[in-house]
This record gives sequence, C-alpha cells and structure tokens, in this order.
Amino acid sequence: MAAKKGKLTKVLDHLKHEDPFSKGVAFCPGCGLELLLRFIPQVLGNDIVITGTPSCSAPVLLGQNNQSWHKLSYFGTLMTGAAANATGLARYYKKAGIDNTVVCFNGDGTAADIGFGNLSGAAERNEPFIYICYDNEGYMNTGIQKSGTTPYGATTTTTPKGSISKGKNLRRMNLALKMAMHKIPYAATATLSDLDDLAKKLLKAKEAKERGFVFLHVLAPCTTGWGHAPENTIEVCRRAVKTNYFPLWEAVNGKIKMTKEVKKPKPVKTYTELSKKFVNMTEEDHQILQDDVDYEFCILGGLSQLEGECQLPVSAED
Amino acid sequence: MSSNKYFKHEGPWSDANDPLMVSDTGDWRTKRPIVDKDQCIFCGFCAIYCPIQVMEMVEKSHFKPDLDFCKGCGICAKECPKKAISMEPEGDFQK
Repeated sequence: MAAKKGKLTKVLDHLKHEDPFSKGVAFCPGCGLELLLRFIPQVLGNDIVITGTPSCSAPVLLGQNNQSWHKLSYFGTLMTGAAANATGLARYYKKAGIDNTVVCFNGDGTAADIGFGNLSGAAERNEPFIYICYDNEGYMNTGIQKSGTTPYGATTTTTPKGSISKGKNLRRMNLALKMAMHKIPYAATATLSDLDDLAKKLLKAKEAKERGFVFLHVLAPCTTGWGHAPENTIEVCRRAVKTNYFPLWEAVNGKIKMTKEVKKPKPVKTYTELSKKFVNMTEEDHQILQDDVDYEFCILGGLSQLEGECQLPVSAED
Repeated sequence: MSSNKYFKHEGPWSDANDPLMVSDTGDWRTKRPIVDKDQCIFCGFCAIYCPIQVMEMVEKSHFKPDLDFCKGCGICAKECPKKAISMEPEGDFQK
C-alpha cells in the first residue's frame, strides 16, 4: 500500500522560473555551489546578469571554448575588480532605463580578501546591485588554500597539520556583519539547509536592490576541500546553523534581526566532526573555536536586540 | 550582430544560442539512487536539495532521478524524511 501523500514543500513554490543550466555540469558530486547556482536564477528569474571572478563557479559560468553551460548573461572579471565591474554594469542599466538585476557572484576569496576593497567601496557608494558571496571557507579552486573566512583550526594546504603548524592559528572574520556595518539597505546570511529562508532573502534582495547595495553571504560547503561525505553537504549546513557557527540573520535598513532562532545551541564539535578538515583539532582548539563562535553570536545577539533608535534613515542615499 | 568577420560570435566567448554543453555526469556515479514508490510521501525534499536538480515529478505521486545526469552524491537519500531512497552500488546494474 502506498504511503499517505503529504504536502509538497513550500520551497517549490519559490522556483517559478526554469533552470537555465544544462543538466550535466562540471561540478563535484555533492557540491554546495551547484545547488546555490541553480537556485538563484530559478528564484530571481533568468533575466539576471551575473558577474564573477576566477573561482569554482567560473569554468561553468564562463563556458568552455565557444560553448556555454547555461543561458544566462555572464561577465567574467578579475578578482581585484569584481564589485567595480558590477558597478559599471548596474550604472549602465540604470542610466539606460533597463530593468535588470546585476548579481555579482563571488567566492569568499574575492569577497573577503582580494576584492574586499572594491566591495567595501561599492557598498559605501550604495551601488544598485546584489553581491552574493558563496562561502566555502577557502580558495577551493586553486587547491584549498586558507582565506579570511577559514575558521580557527581548519586544515588547508597552506595551514597544514604537522609538527609545527597545527591548522589555521588565526580566527575567521565575520564578513556579513562587516558588510552590514556599511549601512546598506539589505545584508543577510543564508545557507543551503534552509532553502525557504534563502529564497525569501533572494526576493527581498531583489526588492532592496532598488534602494542600493545588497549583500548576501551564503555558506556553501565544499566536499573536496572540507573532506565531508558528498551526501552530508546539507547536514553540514544544518549543523552550522544549529551550533550557531553560522547564524542566520538579516539587516534591513541597518536593523539586524535573527531569521532563525536556535533555542538550545549545540557545541561546535557536532559541526566539526563531519568534516575531515577539522579532524586534527584538539580539545583546546575546539575550545578556542567555540569561544570565537560564542563571541560572534554574542555581538550579533546584542545587535539584534537593539530597538527603536538604531534604524537607518530611509532616505540615506538621497 | 557582430561586425567581426573572423569569429562566428561577438568574441571568443560562449553563445547560448548554440545547444548547451552537456557532460556525461551520469558516468561519474558509483552509487545509484533507487526510489521506493510506496514509501514516498511526495514531500519534494529530494527535489529541492538535489544539487543537479534531476529529481523529476512523476504523476504527482513520487519522484524519479534522471539517471543520465545523476552524479550519485546521495543527498536525496540522506535528506529523505521517510528514508524511501536507497543508494545501491552501480556495479550491480552493469551486468
């Protein structure tokens, strides 16, 4: 006897547009980036222009030889000038009166390290485009080097585990909070385990883009670089949220609000045990990472509880 | 169109008016997802979490993977709330 048919998940209602990508695309099995990349045009529509940099997304977005993997418009730029190029496109469309959405789609290497000056400048000028950072916590395409968002204790090829080096000995930066402090109309974090939340944030981003710069920070695990089993990609994201390692929040006009409250946060060890990059961490390392996570969440919790007077003036860009 | 007479396209970049490039990603698979139609409650979690988006709706009763492109990552089997999808070794089907 067939099981009782339940309700279809609400996420499918957000997928109103067709998938512009060809089915067989050269991403690793279980890649978080592929899910994100197929999800964005299905929610925002196929009339978006993506700009991006050399990264894991570039071989697919740019195409190979004269053939293409997708039907979207793509503009490939350098890592040092990603946001500046998107600025030019967005200004052109605004001036020409063309209703278009420019999505600057970069990894954490561009957003947090190499192209951060551009990103910060574009946010300060309040340029009308969406900047999406897919955070796989390292330079995965070039061979898993550490980046500014790699967490404490993680093993990468430039912070290996050996007799002297014990994984990354520096703390990660909180890129999304840093961008929210640029007083932009919309900044948010999202991850792949909560696609309903991600779709809502993408739609809000498209709306807020009319008022200025939008920043989205999406945690997208990398099976090859992190060393977790391909089927655990979504589970890794879920545990990152449940341990407060990657809290989900949004800042609308500077007002920070948690979009997913975790009632009883689990210790960060439940997150790190899934990935091989954390396998060499000792108890003390875990304690430092836990303190780092707690510190970030403490600041975020404080900011989200501020009331009333911390609202940005709505006509800030005028 | 382009005034450049040496290239077919506007530049040495890709043109989506041509047929899209497709890799034989089904060939990468080491494990094959098998959907148990009776246990499937038609919730759609396998379809939304599938990175390749190959889970197709069949007659509003269950989902079926497109095995030409399924890379066999196993996310559908892991995320299924009823455990209706099992991953079988691909070698069993090659005989």
